[in-house]
Amino acid sequence: MSTNHLFRARLTWTNLGNGLLVLMGLSVVLPFFWLILGSFKTGAQLNDPTLLLFNPTLENWNEIFRSGVLESTWRSAMVAFITVIFSIIIGSMGAYAISRYRSGGNVARFSILAAQVLPPAVLVFPFLEISYQLRLNDTVFAVLVPHLSFVLPVVTWFLIGFFDAVPREVEEQALVDGLSRIQALRKVVIPQVSPGIGAAAIFGFVLSWNDLFYALILAPGNSATLPVKIASFNTFRGVELGAMCAAILVAVVPVLFMSFFIQKRLVRGISGGAIKY
Amino acid sequence: MATIELRKVYKTFGNIDVVKGLDLVIPDGQFTVLVGPSGCGKTTTLRMIAGLETVNSGEIIIGGKVVTKLEPKDRDIAMVFQNYALYSHLTVADNIGFPLKAIKFNKSEIKTRVLGVAQSLGIQELLDRRPKELSGGQQQRVAIGRAIIRSPKVFLFDEPLSNLDAKLRLEMRTEIIRLQRRLGTTVVYVTHDQEEAMTLSDVMVVMKDGVIMQMGKPEEIYRKPKDVFVAGFVGSPRMNLMSGKAKSGLFTTESGCQFKIDSSINGEIIWGIRPEDVKILNTKPDAPQAKVEIIEQLGPRAIVTLQVNEQQITAVVDNDHLQKIDNRSDIVIDSSVEDHHYFDAKNGLRLIDN
Repeated sequence: MSTNHLFRARLTWTNLGNGLLVLMGLSVVLPFFWLILGSFKTGAQLNDPTLLLFNPTLENWNEIFRSGVLESTWRSAMVAFITVIFSIIIGSMGAYAISRYRSGGNVARFSILAAQVLPPAVLVFPFLEISYQLRLNDTVFAVLVPHLSFVLPVVTWFLIGFFDAVPREVEEQALVDGLSRIQALRKVVIPQVSPGIGAAAIFGFVLSWNDLFYALILAPGNSATLPVKIASFNTFRGVELGAMCAAILVAVVPVLFMSFFIQKRLVRGISGGAIKY
Repeated sequence: MATIELRKVYKTFGNIDVVKGLDLVIPDGQFTVLVGPSGCGKTTTLRMIAGLETVNSGEIIIGGKVVTKLEPKDRDIAMVFQNYALYSHLTVADNIGFPLKAIKFNKSEIKTRVLGVAQSLGIQELLDRRPKELSGGQQQRVAIGRAIIRSPKVFLFDEPLSNLDAKLRLEMRTEIIRLQRRLGTTVVYVTHDQEEAMTLSDVMVVMKDGVIMQMGKPEEIYRKPKDVFVAGFVGSPRMNLMSGKAKSGLFTTESGCQFKIDSSINGEIIWGIRPEDVKILNTKPDAPQAKVEIIEQLGPRAIVTLQVNEQQITAVVDNDHLQKIDNRSDIVIDSSVEDHHYFDAKNGLRLIDN
């Protein structure tokens, strides 16, 4: 094949690749676009998905504020925040121990996520039973503990790679320089893994924020979190699509922002945790 | 300043004995270098002195105080690691001032001392930078600055020059010597590079398999190695060592090559001669015939690899002298009996103190 042919062939492949990327991009962006439009449409206008030009209404937004979406958002944020605080404190200590002292050996390092392969249904009924016994059902506490059950292992696993990346000598240097082990961890190791801790916190927050399954079963009523509230727009009269669009936007926008800020560290955390042992 | 004493120190990792009953006195204010091949226990010894490794049995004493069970922070030592171990989240100034901050010095005092140390090391321009913005040599200087700022009793160096390029390594070597002379602090320095050990040390400790093979002044170890391991390890290029039989002032190698030696030596021995003690001549009666195989130029001198029968011998000769040798395939080698080293073939120990 001549150079010219090769060049053309390469150009065709590049174009094909770019075309594919545009299609994939559109498949992600279009639903959002549709959601934004949907949140400003009336019920009748929503029946026509192709309708792009219309008189926008704020009715759907008013409806979600009336129906307590704000309260659910606050509840979701609180549950996610507390879950993350616990996960970071316990997870960073666990990750440090696994990374530095090989606590639990390679088994601990790799099996920490083992519970994730179980369907959540296996755990949800024991949690439900316990929350009933403790009279905590339909409260945010009933959701908090199950959230810890999947956020804490993920955060720990995520942080192991970051702790692995801190040279052992740096910590030993701190010991020689006059710090105790705990001080060395706090003043030298933790500051060096702080980008990872930040990323793990956001990652854990998003995991908790997005959970529907546990929240729907353990706190479906007065303590509904945002995903449960969104699901509640699927009523016996039918799906209130407009309000649902608006509520989904409320749930999605913070996650999008957070993902944007942590994307690089997210990849590093996941690959670091996976590759190093 | 302090003397360091190790008394019957043992260290094992699992089933492996890494340090086997080490008895060592590191003199006050001297530059002591622990040298040996990989796995000889030198770094473990240094780490035990620092308190970073526990001791299985035995005692470590620094400045008359038993520190065996003390934390590193309570031993009044400073250490420089091979990879510098700088705190990447802190600036150069904060790195250097870190040991003072750890013992709660006041801020203005820290600032003054950091500036003083930085000036003495020529890094005052770098104080606001982060470690990742520095070259290897600059990072090394910061690590040294952090070590000297607290004026500790002992400096410990763990192969600190290994990560530098050859030119910088020579520069830093000189700087470390100058620094030690100026401060007069006891230094324990670990290296696998015998040349570095020779140039730096006041006292050189050659280790192998967790025990001390020989300890003394570098020139003494070079001139009179106690055994065949030290003879082969110290010196570059390494000493020519040949097994064979000595009888009536003549040494016969296994390949049948013969050399004149001290007539008091008899039996199965290992005969050694340093490359710089091998003389290459045009002719001399009774001297072994040799052929030049390879010449490696070093500028004023050259390393010449010779074949004597089937025996390979290395010589270091002046280049001027090498030019005078007219026929390189027809030469002889010679040496003075005083320059010979004799070792017992069975236990490898030096036979006579010539």
